[in-house]
Amino acid sequence: MTLYHFGNCLALVYAPYHMAYKFSGISEYATFSKCVYAGGLYIFTQLCKMLLLATFFPDTDSSHITGEYNIFLEVLKATVDFADLLGLYFALNAVPGKGHAKILTSAIGWASAEVVVTRSVSLWVGARGSEFDWRYVRSCAESNVALLHTGATAALVWLWTRSDLPRAQAPLVATLLALAPYRALLEDALARALALGAWALLALRALHAAALGLASLAVYAVLAQQIGV
Amino acid sequence: MWIDEADGFAEIFRGYLPYYLLVALPIFIIMSPVNPVAASHEFSVYRMQQYDLHTVPHGCRSASFNLEGRSLTSWSTSRHCVVARVQDITIDQFMEIRAKAGALLLVLPKNDTVLTPEEKEHIQLLEMAMIQQEVNAPVYFARWSPDFEDIIRDLQHSFITDDKSGTALEAMMNTVSSNGYQIVVSASTPQKLESKPVTLHGKLVGRSGSSQTIVIAAHYDSSAVVPELSQGADSNASGAIAILELARIFSRLYSTAAVRGGPSILFVLTSIGHSLNYFSAKKWLEEQLDSTDAALLQDVSFVMCLDSISSSPSMTMHVSKPPKPGGAAHSIKSRLGVSINHKKINLAEDLLAWQHERFSIRRMTAFTLSSLQSHKDPSRYTVLDTPSESNLKNLISNIAVTARALASHVYNITDEGSDEDAALYNDALAVDEASIRHWYKYLTSQSRAPQLITTTSSSQGVTGALERALSRYMDVSVSAHAVDKREPEYTLYGPTAASLFVYSVKPAVFDLILTLAIIAYLTVVYFAIQLFPRFYEEYAKLVTGKAKVH
Repeated sequence: MTLYHFGNCLALVYAPYHMAYKFSGISEYATFSKCVYAGGLYIFTQLCKMLLLATFFPDTDSSHITGEYNIFLEVLKATVDFADLLGLYFALNAVPGKGHAKILTSAIGWASAEVVVTRSVSLWVGARGSEFDWRYVRSCAESNVALLHTGATAALVWLWTRSDLPRAQAPLVATLLALAPYRALLEDALARALALGAWALLALRALHAAALGLASLAVYAVLAQQIGV
Repeated sequence: MWIDEADGFAEIFRGYLPYYLLVALPIFIIMSPVNPVAASHEFSVYRMQQYDLHTVPHGCRSASFNLEGRSLTSWSTSRHCVVARVQDITIDQFMEIRAKAGALLLVLPKNDTVLTPEEKEHIQLLEMAMIQQEVNAPVYFARWSPDFEDIIRDLQHSFITDDKSGTALEAMMNTVSSNGYQIVVSASTPQKLESKPVTLHGKLVGRSGSSQTIVIAAHYDSSAVVPELSQGADSNASGAIAILELARIFSRLYSTAAVRGGPSILFVLTSIGHSLNYFSAKKWLEEQLDSTDAALLQDVSFVMCLDSISSSPSMTMHVSKPPKPGGAAHSIKSRLGVSINHKKINLAEDLLAWQHERFSIRRMTAFTLSSLQSHKDPSRYTVLDTPSESNLKNLISNIAVTARALASHVYNITDEGSDEDAALYNDALAVDEASIRHWYKYLTSQSRAPQLITTTSSSQGVTGALERALSRYMDVSVSAHAVDKREPEYTLYGPTAASLFVYSVKPAVFDLILTLAIIAYLTVVYFAIQLFPRFYEEYAKLVTGKAKVH
């Protein structure tokens, strides 16, 4: 709507990331460059994914017009998102330090890069125009949820790489990781099934991310107690 | 503790934020385009008529605006653009808007069939009232679309009003939930259009020895409050089609010397009609009569003008002087079996009533055939003058009646004789329904307002099509007329169409409320992060405690 509105949206996106970085204690490790590195890895991963999608998948723009929705193809495309997990794995490896610092640094770097790449342009163009739309505020709020979700996923990836992961928890971690790429697909399907609006979908995402976060935190706590971190 | 947390907040502003942003943002703002987003709604809109007649201004005088949209009931100042359905606005409301509002946007009905006869009459009267005087605010018309319906409904139920709502909280909720619309039309300022009216005429030469001439004339433009939307099916596509059909019928009869009629028949199509005081006819007459060889109009038997002949199956003969018994006009009258409507020419009025008065002024016997009872009938000036099947049927029968009357006058037949002769006669005078239908469809498929047809080259568009059609039957001359430079008889103005953008906006207070909400949310996030270690401790105890039980 106005520059002021854009400022509002920017505050909504930026402040939580900043606070997460500042108050989680990782800033004491002076790991800003590692965050940037994780962000770079995110961009590289996306490029690889795009190459894969462009090479091996049929052009879907035309089927969007005809309104066909090929579930199998969508699932297959979501499978490519396993590359994200691989990317996160590399990011985690690149960060020195304790478990939680690794997880937080790579998650924040990763999610920030995602925000910058996917949302900043639409926000800059959209939220500053004379047209008002709730979409931009929603997109900003969604980026907060995305941070939470990336944190949870990074924790899961880190847990999976641990050889001393308790046997009882291993299946849980494996299942959650295997489901990670299909998260957006499942949420959309559920929203469609329940005929949810855009705000309800956002709430659903937030709930989902919170549940995932709590689950991974629980496993982390078990592991942490076991190895005495 | 509180001081510590306040420090934390201050950190945000002191730490990383934002010194670089102070530099980066202005650069971004300078680099990016002024209005980088397209509106969610874009419509084609059509500007109201703007013309000067004898230097008296009529219609809408401005074109662009950028104002907040309001409904008929909620607007109050010149900062508002009133958006309404054309059938909802009364003439009094229009007068108030004309005096005070910033702009007016009227949405036409979805189609004629949704209107009651009262509503139709109301719209016609409104159009007449609108065009009487000049309007300083921009006035636009838009075709109906579902999006417009939504916008109008939103505006009608909008809570953005200047009077206070019940409580402050209520007012706040209203600003968050309601939609406002910013309506923008960017068009060039109105400019004079180069208008070059023309007259087409072609002659079927009668038997030598007789020098009498019958003139059949009609104008083919249309007139309505919106130039772009004046289809003018009855007024006066019907007259122009009748000319073409009569030309076809009589050119066939006149093609063989044996059945050629006595008098010559001159067909005239003028490009400017009643809305601009029959300017084309006036200029054409001046040219023909005042030139050195006035051969074309030397011995005119009578002039028959055709105007709006499709609204009913019967016609009326409008004259400015009652026809003398025994005269040619009287003969036509009795052969047509029509009633006479006598109205003297009133030169004091701004507009002449019918086209025949132009000829009567030049001392020719002239009359107009029309289905309308009065020249003041508002159906001659309306956007609702659209094609219909019943009107087409009327038109076909009226053309047939006219052709028959004219033929019986030309060949001076008093009795049609035997059945065999009558059959022959019927065959010769049969109208070509397919061709009439085709022309009716073509002429009413587009607007024929003077703003459009006299500003294009005369070999193109409707004028060109009519000329080519007429020249299949006879030699056609095109005379172009010029408007007087110093004292223009009329002036037309463009633009006639523009693009309208509708932005949905929120009131300025909304942004403040949003800021408050975001600050509240961020505070919650801040405390959540601050309390996280303690939460983790409790949570870990809970989880691992359970784990140990297993």
